[in-house]
Amino acid sequence: MPTITASIDPVTRIEGHLKIDIEIDTVNGRQQVVEAKAIGTLFRGFEKILGGRDPRDAAIITSRICGVCPTSHAYCAAKAIDAVCGVYPNTAARLLRNLVHGACFLESHLLHFYLLSLPDYIDGPKMAPWMPGLSFDKRLDPATVALLQGHYVEAITMRRLCHEMGAIWGGKLPHTPAFIGGGFTAVADADQVAAFRSHLVTIRDFITDTYVPDVERLAGLYPDYFSIGRGYGNLLSYGVYELDNAGQNVLFQPGVIVDGDGPVQAVDVQAIQEHVAYSWYTDTAAARHPAQGVTEGAYPKGDAYSWLKAPRYQSRPFECGPLARMKASGEYSGGVSVLDRHLARAREAELLADAMMGWLDELPVGAGAYTTCTIPASGVSSGLTEAPRGALGHWLTVEQGRVGRYQVITPTCWTVSPRDEMDQRGPLEEALVGTPIADAASPVEALRVIHSVDPCLDCATHVVEPGTLTERPSAERKERG
Amino acid sequence: MQISRRNFLKYCTMSAASIGLTRLDLEALAAVLAKPDAPTVLWLHGSSCTGCSVSLLNYVSDTAPHDITEVLTQSINLAFHPTIMALSGEASSAALHQAAAAGPYVLVIEGGIPMAYGGHACVVYSYNGHEVTMQEAVQRFAPGAAAILCVGTCSSYGGIPHAGSNPTGVVNVRELTGRPTINIPGCPANPSWVIWAVVQLILGNPVPLDSVGRPVFLYHANGTIHQNCPRNPAVGGEEAAGFEDCHHKCLINLGCRGPFTEAKCENCWNGKEGQGHWCIGVNAPCHGCVEPTFPGPQSFYEPYLPESP
Repeated sequence: MPTITASIDPVTRIEGHLKIDIEIDTVNGRQQVVEAKAIGTLFRGFEKILGGRDPRDAAIITSRICGVCPTSHAYCAAKAIDAVCGVYPNTAARLLRNLVHGACFLESHLLHFYLLSLPDYIDGPKMAPWMPGLSFDKRLDPATVALLQGHYVEAITMRRLCHEMGAIWGGKLPHTPAFIGGGFTAVADADQVAAFRSHLVTIRDFITDTYVPDVERLAGLYPDYFSIGRGYGNLLSYGVYELDNAGQNVLFQPGVIVDGDGPVQAVDVQAIQEHVAYSWYTDTAAARHPAQGVTEGAYPKGDAYSWLKAPRYQSRPFECGPLARMKASGEYSGGVSVLDRHLARAREAELLADAMMGWLDELPVGAGAYTTCTIPASGVSSGLTEAPRGALGHWLTVEQGRVGRYQVITPTCWTVSPRDEMDQRGPLEEALVGTPIADAASPVEALRVIHSVDPCLDCATHVVEPGTLTERPSAERKERG
Repeated sequence: MQISRRNFLKYCTMSAASIGLTRLDLEALAAVLAKPDAPTVLWLHGSSCTGCSVSLLNYVSDTAPHDITEVLTQSINLAFHPTIMALSGEASSAALHQAAAAGPYVLVIEGGIPMAYGGHACVVYSYNGHEVTMQEAVQRFAPGAAAILCVGTCSSYGGIPHAGSNPTGVVNVRELTGRPTINIPGCPANPSWVIWAVVQLILGNPVPLDSVGRPVFLYHANGTIHQNCPRNPAVGGEEAAGFEDCHHKCLINLGCRGPFTEAKCENCWNGKEGQGHWCIGVNAPCHGCVEPTFPGPQSFYEPYLPESP
């Protein structure tokens, strides 16, 4: 039988625009994916949008890279601004940032499992936009399907509550104006703390009593997905949720894990290179460190097939996300697969919700959360954090008090990247190869692999002109409170 | 699909005061809702962040439909929405084409339309093996639409993807199609405003628009943010000099665009109308995100004057 070529375009139930091309063949008596290409089909060019602006605007502008992880971008930009001004946020700012960012993490994880992923396993209500539905192996009995449909509806409410909780200090979500260089605009009062806590208890109970058991239920019925969608098993985390004002200790640890279960190594940001061999950008030279990179769109271009660049760490492709964070933190001992990604994400949500309870207890009521933050005439800085779907870095260069260069490398750029100049597939492409496909006309198994990495193409497919990378603030920082 | 609209009618009755419906409207609505073929909604995403869709999921009201679940199951036939629909791949774009062919539809557009690279900076789906750009999709579905609703500032005016040097040549829906649109700007669009507009369309009500395509009722009629602001010095507010000491103070010196922004925002975000939150409530200046001038080249943190055209 000849190889079957199939396109999934659009990949729905993600954020942004993604097309997946797969080739399907029978190998060792089993029909499976033998080749895959991940094609990012949106380019916005945030660098040129930011160039020349007041650097403080970066938190507001970059929030709009993504409506699903807006606070991650706002937070990351605020960190870069803190650093270029030589300021550490005070305790109130650190905790308010953690709490509002945490609210959006929980929102994203619930949205991802129930609204974006679950329709790969169960039918939704018998109406648009859930019907017509997918054709797939339905292993859940009608009672379980009805139960999960009920949880889907509950999750819609829970994710809304997450945003209502975050908006107590974020003001407006998605796209809060409250993250600013130097800290946070809101000043917490006792009623707000009580309201936040009330929401958080409800959400945490849903995570513990419903979300985690539902993922485990799914895992029990689809155990084959513990060995589907592994890919390279290379995992990268920058770490997130500062536990002290200088950011020396974090809740979820940074780390690099090679091939699934190697030792956790420290992250060396200088070991990142970006490749454009298969990306719609001008080829200027061999793979470059982002500090020397050039980004000019070039469409069409030879064998290029994506608006994503291909970031590589020590020349290897890496995926990032909750599984990387949980394994780097020693909180997850399983492997790398479709189900491991879902399980790690759910358990991370539970750990985060518990940590947020503690941060609420620590939050100083009535305390200002802003430390005076003056943009220097020139400077270079970075902010590294984690979005719900993985490692996020912003790099800022200030020239004459304005944004000279701004660069963002998003988690989906790592995970959904195209091939590099060594012809290594991107992590999602590699994870798709070997996926068994029962019906080539409806490759739902491939969709399950794609959704497990939580692609966010809104984030990924802006590409910005790189600036100089540095991890250290440009001046000695001051701290208040 | 058979749409049950009983609760939607109940919503309109109970919230008539806040959404501006008259008794005559309600009688007309009852007649419209008796028909099973009210407009289908088709939702296209262009050069966007998906934030307006996320915002719509945050819809909540004291009266039915109470939340987005009720909107989706009882109020509208959302035949195409890539972020939440079950179908994927060409089956989903086929559903889009079938729904458009089947009858009247409201076309909702989120995101701007990039014209650079022959439109290929934003490919939205494949149909019959052909990659369709956002530009092509809007041109294909706009002419047959009973109405075009631009949700968010990007589809209304270009928004942030259009800012700076506009690297991908983003245009808004009116510029591309030359057709009238109902613009519901906001970054993101407030979900209650979007649902209000959908109600008007189901009713077939005329929607008076201002010079930039916004329903007068939702924007201009409310006056400016500054006029109604509880921190306005005219009602005893004190002007803050810096973020160090701005709690409960007027933010005009910190970049607030409230004097140039027409919208009803106070306590209208992430909660029921009047019981929610807003930017100024957390000491953050209004960024004027509902205005065609958003974001503009000006700093968000310096005293604001709109650029002269």
